[in-house]
Amino acid sequence: MFKLIKKVVFYSILILISLELLVRVFHLQNERPNRYADEFGVEKWIPNQIEYSITGKRKQNVGKYRINSIGFNTVYDTYNPFVDSVEIAIVGDSFIEGFHEDYTNSLGQQVDKVFPNLKVLEFGYAGYDLADELHLIKAYEHYFKNINHTFIYLRFTDDLERNHYVESSRLDLNSPIRTVAKQIKSLVYAKDIGLFSSVAKTPNRIKSFVKGNKILKIKKEKEFEKNLKRLENFKKLMRTYPIEKSKFTFLLDERLCSAPFLKYLAENNFNVLDYGEKMDASKKQTTLVYDQHWSKEGRKIVANLISDYICNKSLMIK
Amino acid sequence: MLFNSIDFAIFLPIVFVLYWFVNNNNLKLQNFIIIVASYLFYGWWDWRFLSLIIFSTLIDFSIGNLLNKEKEELKRKVYLWTSIIINLGFLGFFKYYNFFVDSFVNAFTFLGKDIEVSSLNIILPVGISFYTFQTLSYTIDVYRKQLDPTKDILAFSAFVCFFPQLVAGPIERASNLLPQILKKRKFSFNQGSDGLKLILWGLFKKLVIADSLSPIVDDIFNNSETYSSSTLFMGAVFFAFQIYGDFSGYSDIAIGTSKLFGIELMSNFKFPYFSRNIGEFWRKWHISLSSWFKDYLYFPLGGSRGSKFQAIRNIFTVFLVSGFWHGANWTFVIWGLFHAILFLPSFITKSNRKFLDSINILKSVKSFFIDGYRFIQTFLLITIGWVFFRSNTITDAFHYLKRMLFTFNAELYLHPRGYRMIDYFILIAFFVFYEYIIREDERKPFNFKSKYIRFLAYVLIIFSFLLFYDDGLDRSFLYFQF
Repeated sequence: MFKLIKKVVFYSILILISLELLVRVFHLQNERPNRYADEFGVEKWIPNQIEYSITGKRKQNVGKYRINSIGFNTVYDTYNPFVDSVEIAIVGDSFIEGFHEDYTNSLGQQVDKVFPNLKVLEFGYAGYDLADELHLIKAYEHYFKNINHTFIYLRFTDDLERNHYVESSRLDLNSPIRTVAKQIKSLVYAKDIGLFSSVAKTPNRIKSFVKGNKILKIKKEKEFEKNLKRLENFKKLMRTYPIEKSKFTFLLDERLCSAPFLKYLAENNFNVLDYGEKMDASKKQTTLVYDQHWSKEGRKIVANLISDYICNKSLMIK
Repeated sequence: MLFNSIDFAIFLPIVFVLYWFVNNNNLKLQNFIIIVASYLFYGWWDWRFLSLIIFSTLIDFSIGNLLNKEKEELKRKVYLWTSIIINLGFLGFFKYYNFFVDSFVNAFTFLGKDIEVSSLNIILPVGISFYTFQTLSYTIDVYRKQLDPTKDILAFSAFVCFFPQLVAGPIERASNLLPQILKKRKFSFNQGSDGLKLILWGLFKKLVIADSLSPIVDDIFNNSETYSSSTLFMGAVFFAFQIYGDFSGYSDIAIGTSKLFGIELMSNFKFPYFSRNIGEFWRKWHISLSSWFKDYLYFPLGGSRGSKFQAIRNIFTVFLVSGFWHGANWTFVIWGLFHAILFLPSFITKSNRKFLDSINILKSVKSFFIDGYRFIQTFLLITIGWVFFRSNTITDAFHYLKRMLFTFNAELYLHPRGYRMIDYFILIAFFVFYEYIIREDERKPFNFKSKYIRFLAYVLIIFSFLLFYDDGLDRSFLYFQF
């Protein structure tokens, strides 16, 4: 029997090495840039990194990214918004960050190309919620006061879970162990396609079994209460980081928002741009094959909406 | 617990170590470990239904011994029928109660009389069709005096609940499995190594072939009215590979796992799609069930003895019951009937046992064309049958077939989520090619002389897991519902 165990171990090692080679040869793995927190405590990507971001299995979506000197994925080397020039900013999470496409054809760039005299400055970073976004806007106030208009991407179901800013634990992803693990490309790929998520769920399943096979009742607050809390978080964040309402628009999917939240936005004169309806109407797939992020079609819809909004609201005039 | 889950990946090595390292391979203890492990394996899904297995075990163990002691034929018959009624009673209640109630109500409605009978919210216990048939085979064999009943309750319990084949077969005969459980087992390197290889091959069939094709098949069958005939044809072919990958994958893992415990289960699939007629297909597809029906239904009915009419009646009975065994839906009955009709010509012309050797289309130009034509023709007929099997209702199945066969229009299929279809065609081509290479021995999927080619095969198979793994899929086996 020990012979069998020895053989299994030996073959496993050889197979793992071969898999690593194959993953590297076909470049299946995602190359994530490194993170850091700047002097204002704003979490960003370390500047000047250029690589390919790969989403899904079998390399089904590839996008080239380029981190500029400020720490965001964009074509512009740096941001210098002037009082006389016309700039629009888009702040948001991975949807705005746009690692799912080439940076030259990002959401911001698609809007940028519609208007010859306009610069669209992108402030996208995976995992940002509203607290992160408002903290960034406050920290870079000197930019944002010169920017004509700012779109804040807000996903109601994810981005209002806290009412104050604290530095996130995402920076732990730069720890030495994780940095070494990042070099094992087959591991990175396996993690990205969700191969380890079943492992992560195992303790819960064992617990459920030990407790007499009752399905674990995860302490889920009722949706209604959750939505109320989200609204309260929004109010608190707005008190902490007040914004000039006329210069900001929330880019959101109304399908995901609660009615009281939408009512509150309307009653308090917050600008809102909903993309949910257009996404619904689209006959093409608006998200990626193995990912929730926008596909080419999804991005096109949002870019067109923003462009129309800029025209309709005359945001090009200083 | 699913074979393709992390839970099983943790469970199996623990049971393996306990089984071989505890108490110097004491047989009683090993059988006890099998029972505990099997109950845990089954209870992982739902503890409550363990009581059914335990009850069935006690009944058949007792009846087996009573049959042995009893000399009076009438009493022996009573014992036998008690076992049959109890076992089939459970099966009938859990699996077919609602079906019969609904069919009854529909029949009355059809005759213009509305009646009200309420159906029950019954959960179908996983594997009930499989272990019921297994225990029945024991009682019937003892009744026929083809098998001596065991007095070892531990061994008998282990035979009924042996976890590798408990929930989806192969449906073992007591005459094959029980003697192995009663005998002291020794670990064999070759057997263990073959077992691991079969597990790997089974996982490939399930996780890569079946699970990858499942979302495409679901989309095509659920929206068949919107797709072209070429897409519907593709959907039916994909389902043929999905169900084969799913079920034969399960069987391979079951046989491989058993080997790790020193137990040999019967083969359940022998490359059924490389068949030159329907008779050959049924010798290679779900062998444990086909042979069960042959031994316990077809032969008792008279088999091919008697008049031609009686023999044909027996064939239809077996196919219809076999279809019905798969599920409480008329689609399965029609599927069985369809296969009976396909089988009939070869039975009448006595060519159903014609092809006993394995196919080799590269043997000569003649066999390339003739055997190649035969196996494509057989595969296409089987694929038409799968439409009945996969559809939710008979009406759906006929609509699907009507569109597929009689409204010819070719259109490029685009999956709503944008799957790259070429990947799946390459996958199926690779699978067929590989199966063709290994077609001589279904129990040795990596039987290459060169260790380098063998290693390359391991790497390719495992690499395909990385290429096709989908975390968001429901990974339970299709045959669990039967």
